[in-house]
Amino acid sequence: MNTERRNRGSLRALATVAYRNIWRNGRRTALCVVAVAVAVFFNIFMQAWIVGMVASIEEVVRTYETGHVNVSTEEFETDKEYYPVQYPVAEDRILSELLLELESLPGVMAALPRITAYASLFDSTIKHALLWGVDMEKELKINLFNLADRTDGLVAGRFPVAGSNEAAVGTEFARKAGIKIGDPLPLKTVSAQFSDKYWNPTVVGIFEFDYRKFDEDVIIVPIDRLQRILVLEEKTQQIFVYVENAGKSRELKALVAQVVGNGHVVREWGDNYWVAYMRQGNIFYVLIFAVFQVVASFLIINTVLMVIHERIKEIGMMGALGMTRTEIVTVFFLEAVFLSIFGAAVGTVVGGAASLIGSIFPINLDTITGGGMKEFPMAGTIFIAFSPAILLQGFLFGVVVSAVCTLIPSLKSAFIQPVEALRR
Amino acid sequence: MKRILVIFACAAALSGVATGQSAPNAADLLARVDANEVYNTITYKGKMIIEYQGRRYVKEMQAWAKGNNDSFVEFFNPEDRGTKYLKKGSRLYVYSPDSEQVMLISGHLLKESMMGSDLSYEDTIENERLSARYTPVLAGTEVLGDLKAWVLDLTARNRTESYPRRKLWIDAVTGDVLRYELYALSGAKLKEYNLVRAETIDGRRFPVESEMRDLLRKDSRTVFVMDQVVLDVPIADSVFSMRNLER
Repeated sequence: MNTERRNRGSLRALATVAYRNIWRNGRRTALCVVAVAVAVFFNIFMQAWIVGMVASIEEVVRTYETGHVNVSTEEFETDKEYYPVQYPVAEDRILSELLLELESLPGVMAALPRITAYASLFDSTIKHALLWGVDMEKELKINLFNLADRTDGLVAGRFPVAGSNEAAVGTEFARKAGIKIGDPLPLKTVSAQFSDKYWNPTVVGIFEFDYRKFDEDVIIVPIDRLQRILVLEEKTQQIFVYVENAGKSRELKALVAQVVGNGHVVREWGDNYWVAYMRQGNIFYVLIFAVFQVVASFLIINTVLMVIHERIKEIGMMGALGMTRTEIVTVFFLEAVFLSIFGAAVGTVVGGAASLIGSIFPINLDTITGGGMKEFPMAGTIFIAFSPAILLQGFLFGVVVSAVCTLIPSLKSAFIQPVEALRR
Repeated sequence: MKRILVIFACAAALSGVATGQSAPNAADLLARVDANEVYNTITYKGKMIIEYQGRRYVKEMQAWAKGNNDSFVEFFNPEDRGTKYLKKGSRLYVYSPDSEQVMLISGHLLKESMMGSDLSYEDTIENERLSARYTPVLAGTEVLGDLKAWVLDLTARNRTESYPRRKLWIDAVTGDVLRYELYALSGAKLKEYNLVRAETIDGRRFPVESEMRDLLRKDSRTVFVMDQVVLDVPIADSVFSMRNLER
């Protein structure tokens, strides 16, 4: 008798009862499944979007803002927003020797000098721009500047040759200023000795890096020419160190700091404000997702409560026939779990499909923002991340949150007295 | 380039204007300031000492000017050697040894700092008399240091003026422009000029050392020192030519 009873009340038997019960009202079940599915879809898609966005920010920061490890002086850091050029790195050392020493560190691919300086243009359409002095030949061995197409980003002409009186501008810059290849680009900048320096390079190339700040504001010039113009001799404003494994940047940072010595600020890309900000935001996103999931679960909670109310006589009958309170609660709880699983599965499939499509066909943010995110270090095109880990996480998150939410209403069924229930 | 010579350096002699105790007429006082700025020619060697955020930069130059319209300045300090400016009327040209080209400075660029100093290009090329551009009001007297000064409040007649309001302090005894302040339309003070030292040259009071502060720049001031000032000696027209600029 006891064995039979145990079999009858086993989890499998209760699950069978619960599974059959959810199809007693197909419309209501469908509604619950859709609610959970929408929440899970939203969570998966948003998480894929955020992961893609964070990856984009990290890539932009590594490519343009810091490298893997960045070296500048303390004075430069104080006035960084003005890109001062009067505080060169390792002023008392020969730059080429310093770069070689940095490149000899384990895991270092390249140590690239870069100079950024403000320029006032003679043209009144675009009044100010950033001069970006780089060794383009070396840069292109390390970086793919167009973050969407994974190319050098050149759309016309060529990049300026070292030592030449040449410049390359972004597509947006060229469009706004009406500049084409071969045009002069008269400008004024301020040297390290605080002197006005007038320069008139010829535009030899037009690029599109898919990074609005660069496509709109930056003029690429040869670093050796810019050093002469700014009276920096053989010095540089910053050094960008690139390593084979970006994950080992933190370890390398200490070695680089030893090489460059005191008076310098050495940072790894993970220290960048936006990277740190986005990483810290993860908890915030989880909270948002949880709230969304809980709100969607209200429909299941409501369904469970309604079902308990509708089946009150049935519950009384189950109790009168010998089912324990735990078994009755389990039946209702499993009904909610089934609804959660079906909903989460549908949401995962749809969310996975959407993020897969978004990872193949990137979203052009410039068309959405109108190019208004210039100050945000993010590519104009965002690839949504497609990852099985995100799908699994979204599915489990949906099932667990929804199921936990229905636990309390399910308990209501346990406190119904069979005699009272049968009288109703 | 008038203002390199005048605004920067010249708070000129107003001898005989305000020596008396009775308040002079504001328009007369301003006309005297204008009259002082009108000289036939000037040549000098100058130094611009720029102190900006704890750093000190010295620019050395030689300048020639004729009347209000023509001026020529060449820089000699190692960092700027060969940089030349030519002002012809209201047009300002620059020759840069880096580009080996002559460029016309115009538009928004005129509002920017010149040679890293607290003066803008616009400050250097304005050449109309103040009395033609501003309506003066005598705002009273003040004591600057131990000097009594007339205070003139100037309001621009034209909305396109770079500085809609100016305030001048004129030495009641010598007529030197001891100080002036330049204001924006909002009423915010943009720049401050203070006379450091004036000398009598050929019977004319002439400021040979002055200080300008651009208040929009943090921790910045520019001291202008003039040396070997020669007034009203003929200068050849070829000095103020494009050929001289490019040479």
